[in-house]
Amino acid sequence: MDNGMENMLDMYLFETNSLLEQLDEVLLDAEKADTFTTDNVNEIFRIMHTIKGSSAMMEFSSLMTIAHRIEDLFFFIRENTIDSIDEEHKRELFDLMFFSTDMLRAEVEKLENNEPLTSNVDSFVEKVNSFLNKISNKTDNEAVSDDKKAENSEKAENSSTNLPEDGSGAFLKVTFDEGCGMENLRAFMLVTAVKDIYENLTFYPSDVETNPETAAAIVEKGFLLGFDTKETLDAALNIVQSSGNVQSYEVLMPSPVEKEEKAVDVKEEKESTVPNVSAASTQKVQAPTPTQQSANANAMQHIGANKQSLISVNLSKLDKLMDLMGELVITESMVTSSPELQGLKLDNFTKSARQLRKLTDDLQDTVMSIRMIPVAGAFQKMNRIVRDMSKSLNKDVRLTIIGEDTEVDKTIVDSIGDPIMHMVRNSMDHGIEKTAEERVLAGKKAQGEIILSAEHTGNEVIITIQDDGQGADPAKILEKARRNGILTKPESEYSQKEVLALLMAPGFSTNEQVTEYSGRGVGMDVVKKNIEKIAGTVTITSELGKGMCTTMKIPLTMAIVDGMEVSVGKSIFTIPISNIRQSFKISPEEIIYDAQGQEIVKRMDNFYPIIRVHRIYNIETEITNLEDGILVWVGEGDKSYCLFVDELMGEQQVVVKPLPSYLNAYNIKQSGIGGCTILGDGNISIILDITTLHHTANDYAY
Amino acid sequence: MSEEYNEMDLEQSQALNVEMKEDPKKFLTFLSDGLTFAIDATNVGEIITNYPITMVPNVPSFIKGIINLRGQIIPIIDIRERMHKPPLYETTDTSCIIVLDINSTSIGIFVDAVSHVVDIYESKISPMPPNSSQELVKGMMSLTKEMVILFLDCELLLQ
Repeated sequence: MDNGMENMLDMYLFETNSLLEQLDEVLLDAEKADTFTTDNVNEIFRIMHTIKGSSAMMEFSSLMTIAHRIEDLFFFIRENTIDSIDEEHKRELFDLMFFSTDMLRAEVEKLENNEPLTSNVDSFVEKVNSFLNKISNKTDNEAVSDDKKAENSEKAENSSTNLPEDGSGAFLKVTFDEGCGMENLRAFMLVTAVKDIYENLTFYPSDVETNPETAAAIVEKGFLLGFDTKETLDAALNIVQSSGNVQSYEVLMPSPVEKEEKAVDVKEEKESTVPNVSAASTQKVQAPTPTQQSANANAMQHIGANKQSLISVNLSKLDKLMDLMGELVITESMVTSSPELQGLKLDNFTKSARQLRKLTDDLQDTVMSIRMIPVAGAFQKMNRIVRDMSKSLNKDVRLTIIGEDTEVDKTIVDSIGDPIMHMVRNSMDHGIEKTAEERVLAGKKAQGEIILSAEHTGNEVIITIQDDGQGADPAKILEKARRNGILTKPESEYSQKEVLALLMAPGFSTNEQVTEYSGRGVGMDVVKKNIEKIAGTVTITSELGKGMCTTMKIPLTMAIVDGMEVSVGKSIFTIPISNIRQSFKISPEEIIYDAQGQEIVKRMDNFYPIIRVHRIYNIETEITNLEDGILVWVGEGDKSYCLFVDELMGEQQVVVKPLPSYLNAYNIKQSGIGGCTILGDGNISIILDITTLHHTANDYAY
Repeated sequence: MSEEYNEMDLEQSQALNVEMKEDPKKFLTFLSDGLTFAIDATNVGEIITNYPITMVPNVPSFIKGIINLRGQIIPIIDIRERMHKPPLYETTDTSCIIVLDINSTSIGIFVDAVSHVVDIYESKISPMPPNSSQELVKGMMSLTKEMVILFLDCELLLQ
């Protein structure tokens, strides 16, 4: 397929997906309120209308049909107001709507995966139709029989258009394209054409041929063609459809008693939409076409307003921009710290270099901010999961979302979606007690609660998923772990923390049975893996009977950090500046030794261990005396210690590159290596991760 | 590299071509500790020499480190050490790094010397004898009387 089509498909998928997300939100809001507000109804109608339109354009008929049926349904609801539907039907309507959004989503997913679309959606159409029948029967008993009857029914009446009483059995009201001009002549041409097959045609206004004034009347009221029976009218329909500039037409049946009408809305000339919007009441007859148009217009305005300030950009372009940004930063430091400039006194150069640095900093911040989006998208989806699971598991659970405006990098939002969903499902399935009684007995509120929160702390974003359920039972976890053979030491030696960490070990899944939602064998190790992929960490805390809390810590900006280059032997390491508190020389008398021979230093009235980088990484260096090298006091969170290195080499902005995935098999992430970066001279420097380096140092036997 | 080899290959391939209708595959052969290995040429990205290798702490010794190949970070493994042989202590004139592209993962292997590209009919490759403790090799074949080629399994190399 050519590029243009690909782009269109991309746009279509993007648009449809965001519309479906909006739809979910509206539905959940509505369900909370137990009814649809007029706004809700209009919104759903608008969304369905857009999906229908774009699907038709892309020729995805299943999507179009589904959207079309729902649009019809909401057209009906909009005309009759939601109050006309009783409670029982409302519930059914909610289920039907959730079902249909799922269906749409499934179809869109198929498109994304390049699978063929469902060709047969009859059962769904049937479902909507029968529901529509149900509610329409309920609402206007006196006015409307079901739509099948309406189709066959010959008696109909139009109250808004005054049909002339000339004995004609059926009328056709034709509206021409807006602003096409010379409506009277077009009308006359139509009359001539129809007269070829039906001679006794009557038409109003009758003086179209001679009187140009009638043009205005036609624009306003439409052009009426009178036929003796509906059959002749049907025969003439073809001609009307194929003649130019006919925007829409309506079949009107004069009948003094019943107020029924069938509206056929033909958009443009050829596109025949599925007729039979269920028989409707009088209000609808007044102008079905205009209402639809105004809905269109509203939708246009809505989109138009958004478009003025937002553009959608392909993510790969942003990635490219980011890469270029990284290269620019490297090149900049390559130029400004060029060895050829050493020792020269270059006032103007230094000034310009400083200016350049400022600009690249600004540029970098801007590029970063482009990629930042709120986590709301990923969070909002959970509403739906909690809703669905509450129903199917019969648990009453409330989802509280905190800090959904927190902005993080787009790649982070994309990768936290699945882990969060997994944890929420876990909480719903295993966390929250099976019955409300159990909860009340345990002294908790009957309604369970899951709190989903996001917050910034310095250079990290912290996402927590917390439930107030039964919590994890360490004994059960241990037993399960033993059965699965993943224990590595005697059970009694496991601390509470280690027990909880077992939950995330590969091959562990606490639930006894596989349920629809969780416990499919893919356990929390997948969550851990996904988060680690974006350089984050996952920790679980839990108290038996009180609930469980999963915390995900993810570095906010992964790409560029301010770093301090230090050398150890021949190797160069980068320590993130944000972790450095101080660096200092030390004299032999300042070193304190503990019983194990661990070197300790006192700083600001506190004692900190000294970690020799050359020792834990086995690097040959000449500088092994603490007083010859330099100590860098670092800290991250509650951990603080001093690193012993040979020499400080200077501060530099570096672009963090992930280490090759091949090396991940050797668990280097756990040994204090956060990534690597390319220095100005093309050499590679390894970026130290202060948190995990501390663990390594602890494991290291002194 | 050497003329005789190429001519020999040509003859050999022609002789084989008469026997069967199979397109030959190109393999790159290289030397490591006196043995000749071959890898599927489609996996070979490029051959580089004299690259500064940055060592990575806390990894098995056969991983020599990482290099910066035009902005791309690539791990380098010493094929000798990977096969549990003593490493080459000093880089020689011929030693170089073959950058492999295996299932879109790049990895460099450090070898004693690269010899040349040969056309080989895959059906001529014999499996390794059973109970062979040789790792990473999926088959072998004798090219001439004196020369036996071991075929390296690239996928295994990644594991």
